[in-house]
Amino acid sequence: MLKTSFRYLNLLFFTLLILLTFSFFLPYLFPGDLVTNMSGITPASEQQRDALERALKLDQSIAQQFKLYVENIYLGDWGVSTTTNTSIFSEVTEVLPATLELVFYALIIAIFIGIPIGIIAGLKHHNILDFTTVSFSIAAYSFPVFWLAMIFITVFCLQLGWLPTSGRIDLLYDIPTVSGFIMIDIALSDVDYKSQAYQNAISHMVLPTLSVAIITMALFIRFVRRSMMDVMSKEYIVAAKSRGFSSAQIVFKHGIKNALIPILPILALQVSTLITNVMIVETVFAWPGIGKWLIESIYQRDYPAIRIGMLIVSVLVLVMTISTEFLTRLLDPARENVEHATV
Amino acid sequence: MQRFNHYQEEYYPSPLMHVWIEFRRSHIALVGFVVLSVFIFIALFGDLIAPFDPNLQNTNAILLPPSWEANGTIVHVFGTDSLGRDVFSRILHACQVTFGVSILIVIIAAGIGVGLGVLAGLLSGLRSSVINHLFDSIMSVPTLLIAIIIVAILGTGLFNAMLAITLALIPQFVHQTRTFVKTELQKDYVILDKLDGASPMRIFFNSILPGMAELIVVQATLAISIAIIDISALGFLNLGATTGMTELGQMLSQSLDVAYVSPWLVALPGLFIFLMVFSVNVVGEGLRSALRNRLKL
Repeated sequence: MLKTSFRYLNLLFFTLLILLTFSFFLPYLFPGDLVTNMSGITPASEQQRDALERALKLDQSIAQQFKLYVENIYLGDWGVSTTTNTSIFSEVTEVLPATLELVFYALIIAIFIGIPIGIIAGLKHHNILDFTTVSFSIAAYSFPVFWLAMIFITVFCLQLGWLPTSGRIDLLYDIPTVSGFIMIDIALSDVDYKSQAYQNAISHMVLPTLSVAIITMALFIRFVRRSMMDVMSKEYIVAAKSRGFSSAQIVFKHGIKNALIPILPILALQVSTLITNVMIVETVFAWPGIGKWLIESIYQRDYPAIRIGMLIVSVLVLVMTISTEFLTRLLDPARENVEHATV
Repeated sequence: MQRFNHYQEEYYPSPLMHVWIEFRRSHIALVGFVVLSVFIFIALFGDLIAPFDPNLQNTNAILLPPSWEANGTIVHVFGTDSLGRDVFSRILHACQVTFGVSILIVIIAAGIGVGLGVLAGLLSGLRSSVINHLFDSIMSVPTLLIAIIIVAILGTGLFNAMLAITLALIPQFVHQTRTFVKTELQKDYVILDKLDGASPMRIFFNSILPGMAELIVVQATLAISIAIIDISALGFLNLGATTGMTELGQMLSQSLDVAYVSPWLVALPGLFIFLMVFSVNVVGEGLRSALRNRLKL
C-alpha cells in the first residue's frame, strides 16, 4: 500500500517535472523574438530591450530562470497576458471552474445513465434491446462532437427556439463570482430572482453538457457491456448459480463488482478524449471555459497565456488519469503483484 | 465457401479466410465494409468522378439548395455554397483529403509506435521503465493540446496538424505492442526458440511478428477513426487545413456563417465525417469480434 503510493507519487513527480521543463522551454521554441513574445512589447531601443530582459529575468542563467519559473508557478505569479494585460492567474481561476463544471455534469450523466445501460445490455446480450444499445453506442461515438453540437444548435436554438445558443447565463442576471461554479454562485448570492437565475443557467447548460455526455456515455456503455459479458461467462458465476443464488444476488454480488474494476483504467484513458471534446464544445457554445480561452489565445498569439494554459490543462488531465489509476490499484486485489506505476 | 466435394474431406480455411468467414456473418459489419470501400474508392478516384472543379465558382448559382429540394437542380446534386462552388465536388475532394491524410498518419504512427513498443517490450529495467511509464503518462495529454502547441510553434497548416495527431496516436500503438510482446515472450514456443539458441532479433522476426499483424490491423482501425475526427476537429477550429485546401471539418466551419439560410451546408460535410468514422468503427468492431470468435473455435 505504502509502496504503491510511493510509486505513484514518484510517477506524478517526474511527469510534472517533464511538463514544467517543457513549458519553461516553450517560449524559446515560439517563432519571433523571445522578449517580444513574453512581454507583448517590441523593444524600440537597446535600453528598453535591456530593461525588459531584466524585468523578465532573461539576463540570468537558464538554471536560475528555471528555479524562478517554478517558484512563480507555485506562488501563483503566472505572468501577464499580452492581449488583455491582466494577470493570467486570475484569468485561469475564472475559466477553469467553468470547464470543470461542464466536465462534472457530463460525467455524472455518462456514469449514471451509461453504466446501468451497459450492465443491462451485457446481461441480456444478443437480443433486440442489446442490438439497439450497441448500434446507438457505435453511432454515438462516431459522431464528431462539433457536428453534434451544431446539430443541437440548429434544431433546438434556431429552428425550435427552446434554448439559448451561447454563454453560461444571460447578462440580465448579475451573479457575483465567488467560486466560479455558476450553480454554487447562484446559491451563494443574495439576489431575489434565484429560481429564474437557476432556470436560465440550466437552459444554457443543457446543450453543451449533452453534446459531451452523449459521446462519453456511448464509450462507457461499450466498455461496461463488453466487460459484463466477459464476467458473466466466468466459472465463478456458474459456481454461484449451482449453489442456488438468485440471479439478482449473482449480478449484484459477483457480476457488477468484477465487471467494473477492470474497466476503470480504460475509463481513465478516456479523460483525455473527454477534455478534448469539452474544449471543442466550449468553442462552439462560447462557454467561457479554459478550452475556449486557450484556443482564443492561439488566435491572438498570446504566448504567455498559451504556455500556462498548456501546463494547466495537461496537469489537470495527468492528475485525473494517474489518480484514477491509483484508485484502481487500491480497489483491485488482482493487481497486487504488479508493482510498477503505470498508466 | 460452399464447395461440391466427392470426398469425405474436411475443409480447413486459412487463418485469413477464417477471419473473413467470421466477419461476414455479421451483416452490420458487411454494410460498414461496403461503405468503407466506397470511401476508399473516393479517396483513390474522387477527382475523376467529381463533375466540377472543387474551387470553380459559379456566380450565377449561389447557395443553390440540394437537388432533392423543390428549387434545386440536378446539375449541382448537393447544391452550391456561398461562393457558388459545387458542394458535391468539394465533398468528394474533401473526403479524399481527410481520409487519405488520416490513413497516412496512422501508417506513420503505427510504424513508429510498433517500433518503440517492441523496444520497450524487449528491454527491461530502468530503460524499459522510462520508455513505458513516463512516456505513457506524458502522452495522455489531449491531442488538441499537443496540436495547439505545435500550431503555436510552427503555425497553422494541414502538415502541422498531421504532425500533432501522429504524435498523439503513437502511444496507444506502443502500449498495445509492448503488452503483446511481453505476454508472447512468456509463452512456450518462444522459450523453445531461446533454447534453440535464437537471437532476440530472430525470435522477434520469426516468432512474434507474424502473430502481431492482426493486433496492429485492429488497433489501426481504431486509430483511423480517431485520426479522422481529430483532423476534422482541428480543421473546424481553423487550426488545421488552411483556407486554400478543402477539408471536411474546415468546410463545416466555413459554412457556419450561412448555417441559418442553408443548413445543408452544415449537415452534409458533417454527415460525411460521421459516415466515414462510423464505417471504420463498424468494420473495426466486426474484425475484433471475428478475431475473437476465430480464436474461440
